Parts: sequence; structure tokens; C-alpha cells
Amino acid sequence: MVILHEMSKWFLLITDDSMAILMAFQTPELEVLGLTTIFGNATTENATRNALLLCEIAGCPGVPVAEGSPEPLKGGKPRTCDFIHGSDGLGNVFLPPPKAKKIEKSASEFLVDKVSEYPGEVSILALGPLTNLALAIKRDSSFASKLKRVVILGGAFFALGNVNPAAEANIYGDPEAADIVFTSGANIVVVGINITTQIKMTDDDLHELRQSKGRHAQFLSDICKFYRDWHVKSDGVYGIFPHDPVSFMALVRPDLFTYKKGVVRVETQGICLGHTLMDQGLKIWNSSNPWSSYSPVSVAWTVNVDEVLNQIKKLLMKP
Amino acid sequence: MAEPKKIIIDTDPGIDDAMAIFLALRSPEVEVIGLTTIYGNVYTTLATRNALHLLEIAGRTDIPVAEGSHVTITKGTKLRIADFVHGADGLGNQNFPPPKAKPIAESAAAFIVQQANLYPGKVTVVALGPLTNIALAIELDPAFPKKIGQIVLLGGAFAVNGNVNPAAEANIFGDPDAADVVFTSGADVLAVGINVTHQVVLTDADRDKLAQSDGKFARYLCKILEVYFSYHHDAYSTRGVYLHDPTALLAAVNPSLMTYTEGVVRVQTNGITRGLTLFYNKQKRFGEVTEWSNKPTVKVAVTVGCSHRCEIGHGAAYGLIKYYDWSSLMNGEIPLMVVSCFTIHMNQQSRVAAVGEIASVQFLLQKSTTLRLTLEQLTC
Repeated sequence: MVILHEMSKWFLLITDDSMAILMAFQTPELEVLGLTTIFGNATTENATRNALLLCEIAGCPGVPVAEGSPEPLKGGKPRTCDFIHGSDGLGNVFLPPPKAKKIEKSASEFLVDKVSEYPGEVSILALGPLTNLALAIKRDSSFASKLKRVVILGGAFFALGNVNPAAEANIYGDPEAADIVFTSGANIVVVGINITTQIKMTDDDLHELRQSKGRHAQFLSDICKFYRDWHVKSDGVYGIFPHDPVSFMALVRPDLFTYKKGVVRVETQGICLGHTLMDQGLKIWNSSNPWSSYSPVSVAWTVNVDEVLNQIKKLLMKP
Repeated sequence: MAEPKKIIIDTDPGIDDAMAIFLALRSPEVEVIGLTTIYGNVYTTLATRNALHLLEIAGRTDIPVAEGSHVTITKGTKLRIADFVHGADGLGNQNFPPPKAKPIAESAAAFIVQQANLYPGKVTVVALGPLTNIALAIELDPAFPKKIGQIVLLGGAFAVNGNVNPAAEANIFGDPDAADVVFTSGADVLAVGINVTHQVVLTDADRDKLAQSDGKFARYLCKILEVYFSYHHDAYSTRGVYLHDPTALLAAVNPSLMTYTEGVVRVQTNGITRGLTLFYNKQKRFGEVTEWSNKPTVKVAVTVGCSHRCEIGHGAAYGLIKYYDWSSLMNGEIPLMVVSCFTIHMNQQSRVAAVGEIASVQFLLQKSTTLRLTLEQLTC
């Protein structure tokens, strides 16, 4: 197994995806510098509460949690999907409030400060709308170049979206922010739902998790129930698509994916609002277009389905 | 034999338009009852001139030509004209003499509506350019979508990059508003996008064989093809040209040459992805009502079928369609239709499909021998 050779410093920009966060805390090669929160699965406020709770559950209550923007760049009430994750964002298990508090700094301030403190060393795993990252890029023009790597869960590349046929939820949550991030020149790896929906945790897998000696197995099984039932309704899938854990694997086991490089832009208007469109570079354009002159990003193109699922299960079942 | 299918070709000639028109005139399955013109490869005025010229070359000046719109459906006058693909005259810079005949008095839209009323359910429109005329016909007569037999259109890029820019294919980009009207009109629409036409390549070797033919059309096409080849070489680094219009025309002549999927297509009409065609197969359910909900479905070509297996020169592992065979081409009876498969292009296409949504991949696997063969090659 390939393990990251050096201690990587990284952030988690979260919605409130419990699985990926707990997996991160279970990975000794990673030092979690902090969690920053954003709306998406729940409101930003709820996401902050859930992030603090998860740090407690993981036994790492000292990890700073910085609250992010309550709304997308353009303003307005954010779209949240409580019909997928439950009204508390954690599958309606309604835990007691956390003891720890969020830090004073906003998410974007915290991101800029940490990345300046460790230039070239910090990786970010972005699991929600990209508002905080865009704000950090706007705040500090050298932010993008000082990042080691950003792994983004978002977009649907040459595939159907999940909010509507054109758009995937994280990008749809703040299309303007996503376009800023994709064109920022940062070292970006993006994992779209065309990849994450290839990996399915079936009811059998979930049962196995529940029966396991995994440190957080019971908790995860509980919060997955609501999510699983939604999958049955929406896709006729008996199980779940572990979107966030798959993108976590892209961070720690990049070798389990192949990538294609190309410029990615996000539509910010019209019926295809939130659509991610990548120039595959198959053609030499005879005039400039909205994709010209931006830096390419790495788009996850194929995935080793069996091994990624294996690794996810292994981490989740780790005592 | 069954009565030939009546077709109107809406065209912006165009080198591959010329090929498609000749193909139609040589196909006993169809009867060309008129050509209507549109901007795209050239401006509409020149398209009309070229349409008349091509009919003269073919000795078919009995077929009427109706001139189409000079502007988009939203009265836009800033048109994108692809003269760098087809030459300034649209026909490979050959400076042909002007045609003797004139277009008929009716506009393209009026002519199409009139023919649909004359032969309800019997007329197929093969649209090879931007869809302005068809949208105007729908505006002119709200019952048109029900009266027209079928609209077979060359347009869109389904789950692949466009050819004008990464988002848009040229014909849809030419008038996205008109395209959205046509796709959602409720007519029997069959869209053939560049995801399919890019699989249909006429190679250098194929052109050499054309050049050896005494056929009237083959000789004519050899003259005008040079510009088209050099554009493809510059833009795609290929030694071959995509047969966009002939492929779409063949879909009208013989629908069994392709496989299709069915769903709702909408066109983005603004923003950076203006002209993007987005297909929704209705298999996934969404939490909310979307712009694709409650819209009529259309057919979208997925693969060009593998009715024959043939070998054409080096590099082409499996020929795709060989609708008109070589012997008749050599006899000069048939202008041309050599379709071969560039292995490399197939690989790119199927890679795209492989990351596409699961349902459509399953569709491809079930329906297409071609893709299965390619996937086998990829995985071995």
C-alpha cells in the first residue's frame, strides 16, 4: 500500500459529512489543521455545530473549527438538502449540543492565515460549495499559489447532475465561487459525481460496518439510515453513494484514480446554472473562448472501484 | 419497394452539405422535394446560390430551393460563419460560375409549412444547419410539430466537447434559441450530434479511392474536399474529415444504421456555455421540478451501428457503416459513402462514455456492437 511519505498538513472544508471527517482523524499520516464549515447539507450554522460535535466524537476536541459564509457569493438564501441528510444534517439523530466553540476567525481568514503560515504544505479537501475558498482567494491574491493541493468534491463531467440534469449540488450551491476557484490557478483535483456514483456502499456493506469493531461504526450506521432511504427513493439504489469518502480517498490515495487535465469553467446563468464544463483539449480552437488562457485542473477520469471501496471500509472499520 | 420518403434538406452548403445532398439524390429510399437554405457554413444568400449550383451539378434543377432566414430567431445579425472550414465560397474556394436558376418566392419556413400541410405526417426535414427556419415554421403554424413526419437534425454535442468551443456544437451555437424551440416542440425529432459524427471519418486513403473513381459526384467532391481536409488537419491533427452532414442524412435514409436513446434535450441560450445541449434520459428522479421536467422527449443518436465489418486501409480496425459499397462507388454509380472508424477517435468517445452516467453506458453496452468491440480492445 502506498502511504503518503511525509506528514501532510491539511484542512477540511466541510459541509458536515461525517464519514470523511472521521476517516481523516483515523489517518495518522494526516495532521488536521482545522475544519471550516459551509452550507450545503445543512445551514452553515448547523454545519459548524456538527463539525464541533464530530471533533468531540473523534476525540480531537482541540481541532479549530472556523465558521464559513452563511450564503453564496451572490447572496440570497442558500439551498440546503435536508431532504437528503435530515433536518440536523446528521440523518436526524439529534445529538446533544457540542461543548467546544468555534474560533473567532471566519473560515476564509483562517484559511488565508494557515496557508500563509505553511506555504506549499497545506492541502484542502473541499466537500461543500466553494464559497469559503473563493473568499480566501479574493482576500489574498497569493493564496492559490501557496496551496499544496485542493481536492474538490463537485461537478458532473460529461454526466448528469444530481440537483437537475445540468448541475451537481456542491457546485450549484455557489456557481460563482466554483468558477473563481477552478480558474484560480491552484493545484486542483476535482472528483465529480461521474466518479463518486461508480462506488456504492450496499446494504450489505452498511451491515458489515454496523457489525464491525470500527471506532465510529455504530454512529456512522445510525446517521447513514436517513441518507440510505433517500437513495432508495431517488435512484432506486439500495445503499449509498459515499461521495465524500471517495474524494477523501483521492486525497490520500491519488494512485487509485486516473486524471485528465483541462480547463474547467462553471456556468453561472440560465438553465444550466452550475454546470461544470471541461475542455478536454481534443481540438485546437481557432479563436479564443471562455476556456482559453486559464490553467488546467486535474479531473478524476477513472477510478479503481474495488480498491477505493476496500480502503473506505477499512478506514471506517478501523478500531 | 415502398414509396420513397419525402425529404426537405435545410442546408448551408458547405462541403459536407454537398456530400449529403448528393447522397440524398442517389438514395432511392428518399425523394428530395426541396432544399431550404440557412446561414452557418456561409451566409444565407451564398447558401442559396450554392444550393442552386449543386442541383445544377446534379442535373436536378427541377427541385425547388427556398431561401431561409438571414438572421437568428431573436433577429440577431451577428452570425458565426464557418468560412474558415469550408472556404470563402463554402465549396472549397473553387469559384464556380453562378447558377442560372433562382430560388422560389416562398420563404424557407413558409415552404416547409406548406409541404407539411400538403403531405401531413409524410415529410421529413433533414436540418443540416442552425435551426432558425424550423423554429420559424413552428412559429408560423403551431400545428407544424404534429404535421411534420420527422425532423432529423445534425446538431449538438451530447456528453462530449463541442466544436465551436468546449461547450457548443456549431449548428446549435448558430441559433441556440431556435434549437431549444425545436427540441421542446413535441415534434418527432432525431438529433445526430458530433458525439456520433466524429466517429464517421473519411480518411486520406478513402479520398484517394474517390479520386480514382469516374463518378461525377466523386470527381466534383475531390475538387472541393481539399480545404476541408486542411482545416481538419490544423484543428484536430487528423488526416481525415468528419462526415457530419452525410451521417445525419443517412439517419433519415436508413434509421437502422444507428442506435438511439430517448429523453429531453434543452439548449442553454446564454452565459459561457451558450449553445450547450443537455440531454436528460428521465431515469434519475430529482428532488425538485427542473427545466427538463414535463417536456416532450426526442431521440438522440448514440452510436453508428456496425452493419458490416470491413477494412479500409491501415489504421481502421473495424469499418462502421458501409452503406454504399465500394464496387458501386468504383462504377461511378454512387458518389461516395465510405465510413471508416478511426480507432483513436473511438477510443476517445468510449472513454467519455465510460465515465458517463451508468444508465447510458449500459445502454451503449447493450445496443452497440461497435462500442463493445472497442471496449474489448481497451481492456485487453
